[in-house]
Amino acid sequence: MKFIYRLAFAAMLGGSVMTTACDGILDVEPRQSIDADGALSSPEAVNAALNSVYARLRSIGNYGRNLMAVSDALADVGVTTGNSGRLIQENNNQPNNHFNNEGNVFWQNSYYAINEANLILDGIAQGVEGASATQIAAWEGEAKFLRALYYFDLVKSYSYIPTAIYTAGLTDEGGIPMPLEGSITSDIGMNRSSPRATIDEVYSQIYNDLNDAIASLGNGPVQYASRGAAQGLLSRVALYRGDWELAANQATEALGSSAGNVLSGQAYVDGWRAESHPEAMFEVRYAIPGESNGVNLSLSSSYTTLLNLDASKNSQGGWGDFVPNQRVRDFFGLAPLHLGGDESDNNNWDVTRNNDVRAFLYTTGSNIRGAGRQIECIKFISKTGFAYADNVPVIRKSEMHLNRAEANFHLGNTAEALDELNAFKGLRGLEPVQLTGEAILDEILIERFKEFAFEGHRFYDLKRYSQAIDKTSYLGANALVPFDDFRILPPFPQREVDINTNLNQNRGY
Amino acid sequence: MRKVLLLGLVLLMAAATAFAQERRVTGTVTSAEDGYPIPGASVVVRGTTVGTATDLDGNFSLSVPQGNNVLVVSFIGNVSQEVTIGNRTNFEIVMQPDITSLSEVIVTGYGTQQKREVTGAVSSVKGELIENLPMQSFDRALQGRASGVQVRSANGLPGGAVNIRIRGVGSINAGNEPLYIVDGVQMNSQDNASMTQANPLAFLNPNDIESMEILKDAASAAIYGSQAANGVVIITTKKGKQGKARFEFNAFTGVTQPMKYLDVLNGPEWYEMRRDAFINSGNASPEANALNGMGILPTNWQSLSREDLEALGQGVGSYDWQRELMGQGRLQNYELSATGGDKQTQFFVSGSYNYQESTFQPVDFERGTFRASLKHQANERLSIETNVNLATVSQTNPFSVDGSFLGNPAFSASMILPHNAIRNEDGSYNTSIGGVLGQNVALVNDYNSGLTRTNTLVGNVVASYKVSDNVTWRSLAGINYRTIQGERFTDPRTPDGAGVQGRASQMTDFRTNFITTHTLNWNKTYANVHNVSAIGGFEFVNESREGFSGAGIGFPTFQFRTIQSAATPESITGFWTGYRRVGGFGSVNYDYNKKYLLTLTARYDGSSRFGANRQYGLFPSIRGGWYLKEENFLRESSTVSDLKIRASWGRTGNDQIGNFDARGLYQGAGNYSGSAGIRPSSLGNLNLGWETNETINLGIDYGFFNNRVNGSVDLFDRRTKDLLLNQPILWTNGFNAIANNVGELRNRGIEFEISTVNVDRGGFRWNTSFNFTYIKNEIVSLFDGLEFIQGGTAGTQLAVGQPVGNPAFPGSQAPGAHFVAEYVGVNPATGRPMWLDAEGNRTYLPIAADRRYFGSNLAPYYGGLNNTFSFKGFELTAFFTYEYGAVVTDGQYGFLRENGTRLGLNALREVNDRSWREPGQMTDIPRNLALNGGNEVRSQGRNFGSASLLNADFVRLAQLMVAYNLPTQTVRRLGLNRARVYAQGVNLWTYADYPGYDPEFVGAGTGQLPMTRNFIMGVQLGF
Repeated sequence: MKFIYRLAFAAMLGGSVMTTACDGILDVEPRQSIDADGALSSPEAVNAALNSVYARLRSIGNYGRNLMAVSDALADVGVTTGNSGRLIQENNNQPNNHFNNEGNVFWQNSYYAINEANLILDGIAQGVEGASATQIAAWEGEAKFLRALYYFDLVKSYSYIPTAIYTAGLTDEGGIPMPLEGSITSDIGMNRSSPRATIDEVYSQIYNDLNDAIASLGNGPVQYASRGAAQGLLSRVALYRGDWELAANQATEALGSSAGNVLSGQAYVDGWRAESHPEAMFEVRYAIPGESNGVNLSLSSSYTTLLNLDASKNSQGGWGDFVPNQRVRDFFGLAPLHLGGDESDNNNWDVTRNNDVRAFLYTTGSNIRGAGRQIECIKFISKTGFAYADNVPVIRKSEMHLNRAEANFHLGNTAEALDELNAFKGLRGLEPVQLTGEAILDEILIERFKEFAFEGHRFYDLKRYSQAIDKTSYLGANALVPFDDFRILPPFPQREVDINTNLNQNRGY
Repeated sequence: MRKVLLLGLVLLMAAATAFAQERRVTGTVTSAEDGYPIPGASVVVRGTTVGTATDLDGNFSLSVPQGNNVLVVSFIGNVSQEVTIGNRTNFEIVMQPDITSLSEVIVTGYGTQQKREVTGAVSSVKGELIENLPMQSFDRALQGRASGVQVRSANGLPGGAVNIRIRGVGSINAGNEPLYIVDGVQMNSQDNASMTQANPLAFLNPNDIESMEILKDAASAAIYGSQAANGVVIITTKKGKQGKARFEFNAFTGVTQPMKYLDVLNGPEWYEMRRDAFINSGNASPEANALNGMGILPTNWQSLSREDLEALGQGVGSYDWQRELMGQGRLQNYELSATGGDKQTQFFVSGSYNYQESTFQPVDFERGTFRASLKHQANERLSIETNVNLATVSQTNPFSVDGSFLGNPAFSASMILPHNAIRNEDGSYNTSIGGVLGQNVALVNDYNSGLTRTNTLVGNVVASYKVSDNVTWRSLAGINYRTIQGERFTDPRTPDGAGVQGRASQMTDFRTNFITTHTLNWNKTYANVHNVSAIGGFEFVNESREGFSGAGIGFPTFQFRTIQSAATPESITGFWTGYRRVGGFGSVNYDYNKKYLLTLTARYDGSSRFGANRQYGLFPSIRGGWYLKEENFLRESSTVSDLKIRASWGRTGNDQIGNFDARGLYQGAGNYSGSAGIRPSSLGNLNLGWETNETINLGIDYGFFNNRVNGSVDLFDRRTKDLLLNQPILWTNGFNAIANNVGELRNRGIEFEISTVNVDRGGFRWNTSFNFTYIKNEIVSLFDGLEFIQGGTAGTQLAVGQPVGNPAFPGSQAPGAHFVAEYVGVNPATGRPMWLDAEGNRTYLPIAADRRYFGSNLAPYYGGLNNTFSFKGFELTAFFTYEYGAVVTDGQYGFLRENGTRLGLNALREVNDRSWREPGQMTDIPRNLALNGGNEVRSQGRNFGSASLLNADFVRLAQLMVAYNLPTQTVRRLGLNRARVYAQGVNLWTYADYPGYDPEFVGAGTGQLPMTRNFIMGVQLGF
């Protein structure tokens, strides 16, 4: 017996000595991460890193919601139902309820994505072992396209648009911080305090990136950057900058590219029923249910109470927080229509429609939510086959016609502008119009409004023509945001202003 | 332990024999404390050397020499008794515990000390103080028991998280949890259940605890080095006692109840309130709009008159959703323990079952434990010991632990519009719910299901070997193994489950913590007065955590509730993480004749969590004491029975950060279009090292009038340097923060403890103990000369010169001081809310520059007051706790304070009554509005700024206990050793000027289960 005790004792003693003697006793390696140093040294790693930059577009701060639904809520597109209480304050243009909502996720996520793109560009500049020149060119094109897209989305939201810069403020001059070097060391991370670049500098940088992207990208699947997508984006950026010539010729280039198709009539309506919109020149892809933004914040839930296109209208779907206002309903002749039968059955309801095929993108929802049965937009209605996710077209090819028409109008080619507008109206089932002078531009902008309602364009279209946001007809006499009002711009995140002494806050915050 | 200590001594004395004429007396010595016989008590004939020691059953037999008539019975920790023999030959002697004793033994770092020798700031809480409290974990029971120890329950979830802060908040990001050591095994107290809160300390039945020692100052804790920055709580469980096997059975049963129901509006009242809001907003059809918001506007409303609509609104029903969803729950507890053994081997085994429902059905807590402690003296030199605790805990998950989820009954019960019926006339759930909570939360609560199981093993094996008379080697190997397994089903019949046709989720988390400690003890006395002891040791800790979780959607029917029936996998993920610590330590104790005491300790520790350049740290300490009572001028004093002054300085470390926070990493994330993505997740910092705490402590231990008044006073200054701060990184630089050693934090305070015996006469005894703590917390510096950075919660700022707040959970950043615009009530002329701008002028639209500080949610004053009365077997205990000075935001109250103006939610009657109604009215609640989300145009929201801050001060009757110990003779007749019946109430009464559910919570306060009131009755039998 004693022997056993001694043995046990010896074992314990021995064990302790052994552990002390071990070298590297404190070495514990993570198993689900790798060192940042050299992380992008293989072609597979660069591909994976690029995926993350694309994936960030899915965030609710970006194309997952804010750039579509918050943008339209800020503008004069719709009304809130209060079903979940979301988007009310944005629709009321309440101070501090802007693109900064949900904890500034738009800003944070976009700059993270830009940093990742910068790191990829830095990485491939140092060379990637085993990568071909074509691969490297394609990566560079994709990274630059994405960086341009993120910067454009930020600058058009946080700053004035070049065609209409309000200059009375003292502190809101300028664009946004524009770092172009990746930050992966504590040195840059802790010490780089980027000031606001000027609006002009930001747009020039976006031009550079898009021109490089156009030069190095080819055709590709719609969920990835392609030459056509870059041309389409450049057309829009040029339009915002008032660079009419460029806007028009890039629209032409884009229309000639293989990215997306312009649809008309029933095909156009069917396009909105497809999982991937055939008009899309570039779309943000939601591939699996886990990528859905969920019942509270997804685009489909923001817009409709319906679950999906196939389900009964009585099946519970999203919140339907934001629905068309009277003006949008009038565009398409929308009014509730009882089809007969039990009035409480949502399937027995639809809407009246005029000749505009876009009227088929609206119908009545369900009465399950607090606000009861509303006329809703069903452009986004969980078409991916799983709940609360839709692939989001960032640029639809139709826009190119409207961009070119608008650019031509400013270039003095009013006849061409009107022709293109009328041709476009024809695609949507509308009669041509005969207009002259400014009325043509007004009609082009109305057409943009109709075409892109619930796609987030209207707010910027008002902004770039320094027009007031007028909701007085449905939200009361105070619901007017003149162009000189500070609420046109959102506040920069307070934490960024607090830490970055070079960063001037927008006026009024 | 102490019983065994004296045994040997007493036995020596028993060797004396008498030859004179004598008579034989016999008797039994029992303890008044627990009714058990006391083995090893000394029974001596006064004035002689004749004596004996009681045997294992407490019996003694003694021959008393002629002419002697008095027996002196003594036993350590008890008051000595003198018994006149007279003609009796048999004695039943009941020993009273000496509660004023300073001779009790305190467990300190890697050893024990007599209380009079302790020179650090150590509080001791005996197990019996918290006995039979209907609480699932001992940490909750520590509230108010010791100065300098602040305890807050996170919520009223049985087995939920408890927030303990020893001497304030000393870290902003690196965790403020003390180190818990159970029988030498260091516990990781981090909860990692994702579906509920599973307090890791709930594995231990609190009734298995013998004592808890709280090492508060850095000098006492420094021997634990790198983990001791936030103090150390050492738990000693009950061990086997020598003697015949004794059994103890204990059972209690009772109920748990909500402490408060919020006084919300009823159906017609809500209608009126809303109608008036529409009138205030200039709306032309206020009645119709109010009814529409309630979801009950008839479709033909345009053909109805305003009067008809008004009658409709006034005629709505009223349903009490709070009382439907909150209510009384049951609780019960059964335990059986056995202890005994002989000189060589002692054992203690116990088993227990505990069940508690919450006040929100079906959330509950169910625990079974098994414990075994074995000790064997193999030979004169070697002893071996093992302690094993096994526990299994099942908790029915709440919908969520907190948050404004519509399906969360803790959120919705008080928020849902009261005109909504709960059930239809046929008894089925009403599914057409008006208002923003467009779902029947009773249905959701009923149909969803989920369970979290936690299995824990905490055990050790210890061997000590007496190398020579004064040198002992001790080796310990311990393990803390925990598995958490959770499952949840979102029923397709509920709104959240409808869209996805049901969702089942599963999570599993395995945690293994291994520790081994080896120490060498040495002691020697020189020249009878120089007592020296030393300890040296080595310790190694390895912990790993691994888990996976997944979810699936698309279920055939609601009856299929497990993940294998899912049509589509929704997510699948897993993780692995781990760390290691290694350290060597030593300590030297010296005292001169027990008068002058000095201790030096040092520890050298390394942690894998830090940057390659700075993994190791040195943690020294020094402490000294002067035991004045031993000095000649006090030795004979009858007034001063005890006096010691102490001083200490020590440094401790903190490494409670993420396991890989020092590393710059890319992680797998950002999959796109079916292919995998990677992205940077953290910035590396090779120089990331220890956060250190340096505490200076000055203290006095005092005792007067034979220690009928005793206690201690401590002053401390705790400075946390090289804060492990998540230094914010500009988002424009691609990250949120970097772990860095910057900044300094300071906690200064005073602790005061007093215990008195107020009355001790005729068997009636009244004891009082009181403690008080004041802590001033302050940020001394940040980094780069910055005056402030954003705190862990919105609206708070970590600012130089301001206090930090109390972080809700390990790993969450500490909130700062509230930093908001000052709210000054409404404009009496218009009912618009107003704030002060930077110049002190009233404004409707305050901006960032108008913010100022309003304190933090960390209470600077707190403590407890305990009164115990005993008389002839009856006991009454009334224990109060209190907190003062915390300023909090309460999300639940915040929603209610909106008064239904933003969302269709119910409102508090007192808030609505205060809302502005007519010009000239001075009030703090703005006029009711029904546009703009309830806010005036071009105005901040009504809860903006300091409008939403609340004082969370309270005094609470935390424990009221009455007990009756049956007289020994009666008990004996029943064949028992001890019988006790008791009734106990927890949180019976609270004084607080607090408009929400309860001022005691941690976190945002939204949708958290409020604290509960519990009553139990029980019986304890020993046989």
